Amino acid sequence: MASSRIQQRPPEASGRPSRAARLSHWLNVGVPYFWLLVFFLLPFVIVLQISLAEPMLGQPPYTALWEWAGDAMVQVRLNLANYLLVLEDDLYLAAFLNSLWIALVCTLLCLLIGYPMAYAIATAPERWRMPLLMLIVLPFWTSFLIRVYAWIGILKPNGLLNNYLMALGLIDEPLVILHTQLAIYIGIVYSYLPFMILPLYANLARMDHTLLEAAADLGCRPAQAFLRVTLPLSMPGIIAGSMLVFIPAVGEFVIPDLLGGPQSLMVGRMLWTEFFNNKDWPLASALAIVLLLLLVIPFVAMQRWQQRIEGQRT
Amino acid sequence: MVGPPERRLLEPWQDPKAQPYLRIERVTKKYGDVYAVDDVSLAIFQGEFFSLLGSSGCGKTTLLRMLAGLEQPSAGRIYIDGADVTDIPPYRRPVNMMFQSYALFPHMSVERNVEFGLRQERLPRAERSERVAEMLDLLKIAELRKRRPHQISGGQRQRVALARALVKHPKLLLLDEPLGALDKKLRENTQFELVNLQERLGITFVTVTHDQEEAMTMSTRIAVMDAGQIVQVDTPTGIYEYPNSRLVAEFIGSINLFDGKVVDRVGDEVLIEGAIGRPMRMRCLQPLALGTPVAVGVRPEKLRPCERYTDDGVNQVRGTVEDIAYLGDVSIYHVRIADGPMVEMTLANIQPRTEQALTWGQEVAMEWSPTSGVVLTD
Repeated sequence: MASSRIQQRPPEASGRPSRAARLSHWLNVGVPYFWLLVFFLLPFVIVLQISLAEPMLGQPPYTALWEWAGDAMVQVRLNLANYLLVLEDDLYLAAFLNSLWIALVCTLLCLLIGYPMAYAIATAPERWRMPLLMLIVLPFWTSFLIRVYAWIGILKPNGLLNNYLMALGLIDEPLVILHTQLAIYIGIVYSYLPFMILPLYANLARMDHTLLEAAADLGCRPAQAFLRVTLPLSMPGIIAGSMLVFIPAVGEFVIPDLLGGPQSLMVGRMLWTEFFNNKDWPLASALAIVLLLLLVIPFVAMQRWQQRIEGQRT
Repeated sequence: MVGPPERRLLEPWQDPKAQPYLRIERVTKKYGDVYAVDDVSLAIFQGEFFSLLGSSGCGKTTLLRMLAGLEQPSAGRIYIDGADVTDIPPYRRPVNMMFQSYALFPHMSVERNVEFGLRQERLPRAERSERVAEMLDLLKIAELRKRRPHQISGGQRQRVALARALVKHPKLLLLDEPLGALDKKLRENTQFELVNLQERLGITFVTVTHDQEEAMTMSTRIAVMDAGQIVQVDTPTGIYEYPNSRLVAEFIGSINLFDGKVVDRVGDEVLIEGAIGRPMRMRCLQPLALGTPVAVGVRPEKLRPCERYTDDGVNQVRGTVEDIAYLGDVSIYHVRIADGPMVEMTLANIQPRTEQALTWGQEVAMEWSPTSGVVLTD
């Protein structure tokens, strides 16, 4: 560092950002953090705190975590029984596994149905793309709840589907679809399909078409070119779409409640039952925390993977 | 140094018995009502470095893509090595292409990119890696083996694209603006490398370019295209020295065109009178009727200042120097002819510029010889 040349710093006057600039910087950084703090971290801490309490009759229906014990002592009581129950009871375990299974199957189904749709839209003539995308987004203009209710009308024994099939003479007796696992699959795949299609479309639409020409030139039939070029390059879209379907599907409550009927075993419904029917807020909170952890861990893992894949591209 | 390669001396297109390696027969490509390629026929011989030259939109890229099978001709046939390939899809043609954008697969390493086409041929692993290694060595990119396309420079990407196409040992290598994305210095070096590579491998190259200099240095022959049609096919020398039309003459390099009419013929020379007010005498082998309107084309470097400007001297013009572009090795003089056109003359700077007599505003007389120009009829 023995430089013989004397370096002079420029005068400080212009170096420091102005007050307004600093304020705007803090607002830019601060607002999202404030949002996350108020609407995510704080509720999370509250739920975490409730999950460590004991249920009791009263308002609120759980014990406080700490109380004054006199002589400047704070007595803290952490109740881990809720977590033990959630982890030990076969019913909860079954609900978790069932939820994960249903979400997984629905994600795969969405991928199988959504990929060809996204691909078709992305490769459609320019003037058709916007109208086709509109058709995908259009259902969002109707309330989610109403659309799920509509499926009851379609699937019920005396519903649209059964009447239609019987009128065609394909079946003699109504099919029992409503209030079965199948109805849950139908409902979730229907509801979350757009969340699979949109990121896949975004990915496929910006794919360089000459890469496929190069693959053809190097000896790939169209199907091989798809497998060796298109599919690997659309991996980020597949992952993004799968997470957008899988994560909300695991905790889904409305669809299993309305379409799956009383027997359907999913975490979302379990939570609801504990919270509103059994008034066991601490147990419900423990369920929510475990569910959150179950989702966060694969999410982080997938994001790492996606970053690695993205890092390989320009 | 050995002399010019043998290929340069052999001119199969001069030999009426030679079989063309690539034959394009009356190929047309229409998009709606627009003719992108309009009734083009070409015969290209084995080992040629053939260039399709033209401004953008002239149909050269469409023609190249039809050779690759990426576009289907609306009419006409294409034969490679005697076989009709017109209806053969790109993945079964013995042809490979280097794309203008290189089209390297971003999710694969350099090595995997080069290997891509060989995997498709289901070659055993050992042979694959041997051929890939050989090609990477040949193009001096072996040390980039594990890198991905976005981690290497533009010039290196060009080499990878070339290696990926050549490793398949195609009968025909198609190159779409192969040097278009490189900077000037790199482009000049790469031109020579491409030619050396082509001579070494003996693969027939067909390249598309809009850069006349590139076409001139690399090609055995050039086809100049305009509006979907081929205007002239000839060697670089032929195209430059003997353009067959104003269009070719003006597209390749610069040229002075003097309009006139044929007034007499003496032996293999014609006498032309016209724009510059005094007669021009040019060698012209094609039979021209007296009175035919023609243009005499003289390249700027074929003009020289003349010592004796006489009233009846042929092939002479006089004017005042209006502009001088000093390029170092040569200077370009723009000379305004009295109530005539602007004439361009290029002189080698044999002496340093400060010593030169010719300067702005000076009157200068120029002349050319009857054999150093062309007579153009259209």
